[in-house]
Amino acid sequence: MDLFISLVLTGIGNGAVYASVALALVLIFRTTGLLNLAQGEMALFSTYFAWKLTSLGLPIIPAIAITVVASMVAGAVIERFLIRPVDGPGKSPLNVLIVMLGLFLALNALAQLIFSTDAEPMPKPWPTVGSPGDPTGRDAIIEVLGARVSWSTIALVIALLVECLLLYVLFQKTKIGLMLRAVAANPESARLVGIRASTMLMLGWALAAGLGALAGSLVAAEQRSVNPGLMALVLVYAFAAAALGGFDSPVGAVVGGMIVAIAEALTVGYVDALSGIALAVPFALILLVLLVRPTGLFGRKVVERV
Amino acid sequence: MSSSDAPARAKTAGGGGGRITRTQLRIGVGVIVAVAALYAPYYYGPAINQDLSRAVYFAIAAMGLNLLTGFNGQISIGHGAFFGVGAFTTAILMDTHDLMFELTIPLAALTAAVLGVLVGIPALRVRGLYLALVTLGLAVLFPFVGLKYIEGNGGTALVRPDRDGFNSLITFLDNDQWRYLESLVVAVVLFLVAWNLTRSRIGRAMVAVRDQEVAASTVGVHLARVKVGVFALSAAYAGVAGALSVMVDGAADATDPVLAFRNSIEFLVAVVIGGTATIAGPAVGALILILLRRETDGLIEGKEVLSPAIFGGALIAMIFVLPEGVVGGLSRLARRVLPDREGGSAASPLGPAPSAAMTNEADEPPTKEHS
Amino acid sequence: MNRSVNRGLLALLATLLLVTSACTSRDEDSSESTGGEGEGGSAEGIETEDCLTDPASEIEGDTIKLVSSYPQSGLTAAFAEIARGWAAYFDQVNADGGVEIAGNTYQIEFEDADDEYNPQQTASNIEELVGQEGTDAFAAFSVVGTANNLNVRSFLDERCVPNLLAATGSPAWGNPEFPWTIGSSLTPYTLEAHAFADYLEENQPDAQVAMLRQADDFGDAYEQGFRNAIEGTDIELVAVEEYPVAATDVGAQITSLANSGADAFFNGGTLLACPSGLTAAQSEGWEATTWVSGTCISKTLMGIAGAAGDDVISLTNLKDPQNPKYAEDEAMVAFMEAVEQYRPNFKGRELDLENGIVGYGWTQADLLIQSMEAAEAPTRLAIMEAVRNMDGLESGLLIEGVSISTSGEEDPYMGETFSLIQYDAAEQYFEELGELIDLEGQTRELTPDELIAG
Repeated sequence: MDLFISLVLTGIGNGAVYASVALALVLIFRTTGLLNLAQGEMALFSTYFAWKLTSLGLPIIPAIAITVVASMVAGAVIERFLIRPVDGPGKSPLNVLIVMLGLFLALNALAQLIFSTDAEPMPKPWPTVGSPGDPTGRDAIIEVLGARVSWSTIALVIALLVECLLLYVLFQKTKIGLMLRAVAANPESARLVGIRASTMLMLGWALAAGLGALAGSLVAAEQRSVNPGLMALVLVYAFAAAALGGFDSPVGAVVGGMIVAIAEALTVGYVDALSGIALAVPFALILLVLLVRPTGLFGRKVVERV
Repeated sequence: MSSSDAPARAKTAGGGGGRITRTQLRIGVGVIVAVAALYAPYYYGPAINQDLSRAVYFAIAAMGLNLLTGFNGQISIGHGAFFGVGAFTTAILMDTHDLMFELTIPLAALTAAVLGVLVGIPALRVRGLYLALVTLGLAVLFPFVGLKYIEGNGGTALVRPDRDGFNSLITFLDNDQWRYLESLVVAVVLFLVAWNLTRSRIGRAMVAVRDQEVAASTVGVHLARVKVGVFALSAAYAGVAGALSVMVDGAADATDPVLAFRNSIEFLVAVVIGGTATIAGPAVGALILILLRRETDGLIEGKEVLSPAIFGGALIAMIFVLPEGVVGGLSRLARRVLPDREGGSAASPLGPAPSAAMTNEADEPPTKEHS
Repeated sequence: MNRSVNRGLLALLATLLLVTSACTSRDEDSSESTGGEGEGGSAEGIETEDCLTDPASEIEGDTIKLVSSYPQSGLTAAFAEIARGWAAYFDQVNADGGVEIAGNTYQIEFEDADDEYNPQQTASNIEELVGQEGTDAFAAFSVVGTANNLNVRSFLDERCVPNLLAATGSPAWGNPEFPWTIGSSLTPYTLEAHAFADYLEENQPDAQVAMLRQADDFGDAYEQGFRNAIEGTDIELVAVEEYPVAATDVGAQITSLANSGADAFFNGGTLLACPSGLTAAQSEGWEATTWVSGTCISKTLMGIAGAAGDDVISLTNLKDPQNPKYAEDEAMVAFMEAVEQYRPNFKGRELDLENGIVGYGWTQADLLIQSMEAAEAPTRLAIMEAVRNMDGLESGLLIEGVSISTSGEEDPYMGETFSLIQYDAAEQYFEELGELIDLEGQTRELTPDELIAG
């Protein structure tokens, strides 16, 4: 099979993952103006939770559904009790950063203590081919015009599209979405027209936590296991994706995720000199894009007033 | 915004009427701290002394970051890379060129500063969180580049110069003691440099750029020069810290990809828990951070896995209790107990003027410019 | 005004500095006096003239204190399972009365610290546990990680404190400049590469090989070792891809390797990169004779690979606890019972007796205790020499017929006899393949010099 096509397909699979996590980052950024450093570890904790449910006998799809809902509740709780007391006008955003770092460290350690310190096999919520001794089965493969496409790639892309659609409907077609946008655009004015900004912030965190939980479960399923280091590099790539696309743009997150992942896969395949440090390419790309457009590909330009 | 009259007040230092009480307090605290800092290495054993030395070099890096973030409003999550570059410069020069340790310090500062300029130039255009992200990329990449290209001991990305190269002039002290004192001397020098700088014209320009960039440029502040200059200086501080770390820890190391990133974040943590935009904050923050890590390590026997959670929890608790950082919180307390209308900008290493700048900082948070 | 405050402060600092350093000094009772008085070189080769402590002085009291540093929290905390194994073994030795050295009996005391796999932390842990004077502990034992051991090597060497059974397969432990550091029964990485080359030569003599390796010294040992091994054969290394340390997904690397047309695959991935490499190869539909790193043969990692790991080859010298053949094995049963009895809880981790590295830790402790018992005197020098001159030691969990020998400076390597093993995915264990391979004494010869001298 053509190397180029295979690499692009690998990139698309990874890109869907980065994009999902980047979407969660963008959601929180839009409602609170903060980058959630703990997003990855929140997702990791949720993913271990989903794994635990499956290990207790629940099928994977309901397990993920329950996890997403539980994570949304947890996300709202985190916002209410850990973030809100240190966030807000007149308070340094660096303090929030420290709280997020604390969460980052704590959630990883707690996941290890409560669930497992080891890599645990994660069932796949898409068609697989089972064989004896294989805890999760392998991804079913379909041939498209001579290219082998793995079901994991297809499922990850579908999940991403569904996420995008839901977010679009939520933000553009519902009243809650309108309020969310209003708070993001101008918290003061939103308060004046009677929108409770605090509720909207909790909702933003809840949505992000839910998205993260879904993304984490799918990454784990794709990699066959949930392990304490699952989200470490994924989060870095998601940051890269969000920066490339513009922190306040969901479309940017998706496009950014795809570009970052495909660029990386092609680098691995074609540029031997960067073997082992292909990570340099996405960041070089970001730097280039930001030099031309300082708020990312799809980010809004902020007019500064004196 | 409350903004730039704070530094202006800082300039008029020590002029006010209440200066007797406040200034005395500051000098008193300063003397106590100085005595404690100098006596500590004789009191403690090697292990604690090593941690104290670590706190000192950590404080240097945090001081540099504070110049950039606290006073100039540029956020960097990439100082772990400058720190690493400084460390490797020193370690490699000592290991393969048999250079004396002290001579490598300025060279480490220089290499880090050059890299700082390279990052500072794009930072002219890329700002706020986007800048943070670019620097994050630097921090994440650094160890991978090190792992691939550095052929240190046993082929690893770890360079450990022969300890003999560290033979000191101060022969009447033990290794851990003079390492600490030497770090302390370097730190005091750099502290005085930073202190004077923040109170100089350049310092005011830095703060002006942070608070009102456009306004600053219209009144003749050369934006590019200030921003790139601060970036380079800040990187140089991190580079010196890296150089000292080779003396204190014995090696420059890039084998652990999590570490450069962790350093980057922890420099920022030291700045914040000490007190952003306070000149003594980073030192206090660094000390607290190092001691906290020491104390939380393996705190619960039989539950070692949990140690990072205890550390993380402690950080969160600190921010909840002292949102302005330790120095920020203490100077607020001092202001309340010893009222001083004149805005107490009298100079002292401990309770610096910029508590005023601190509040100001909170009003005009550097990261929020896009929200 | 400011300027004068500045000057005043500087003057104050300077005065204080001088005063304090002049009148207080801790160095009356410091280490300097203890230096330099070694026994002046032993017959067997360890030079002791420059030792900061006297390695020939006998242990005082009736305990021997061992110290270690390894990850107990963070992303690599799973390595703590090694320590569960050795801790249980030492507990058992103590319960049975202790270890006898030259007529005296000693209890084993041990203390460890968490380094999160960070070499700088390892160094400060070990320096603190051993003490600057080298007197707070008898020896360091089973420190995990190559860079981690490299970072304590010179400190321990200067003090002539043994660094015993370092838990890594780097060939650097044969460096004659550091006689106080010695590796463990893990097969050196370069021998692994040789074993695969030999296997291919026998079964697939014109193999085209693709290699996945980590972008660091560990990967370098595999690549150099393999290139060295295929010299003069018809085997060709057609593609090499590096992956960054800590990566858990190597899909793109495998896509590239699979397209090289290679019919053999050296999977030098460790931790999760290893199963990721196997499953990605499976997704690519790449059929190749596959070798996995000896660091990848754990139940956890191969369990994740599942059917993608079917038929892969590797090597080991330890009995696989999942192999039904050993279910009734006397030593295996005794080992499991002891671990369950003494260390059911360890560092907040659940007990999993089928995790092979617990048995590895247990075996290292056994090798150390046997060496101690063979030592001529209860001294650091004698015990170091005993470990450096193991004479065909056997241990319950070593595969039948494997014995461990070392021979001073010439051959400090232990894991030189081993069995090839092949994974049976359906049954989830490694089957031993054919006869034992005996490369006793050959590591130095089969390893490029620069990998040893590092």
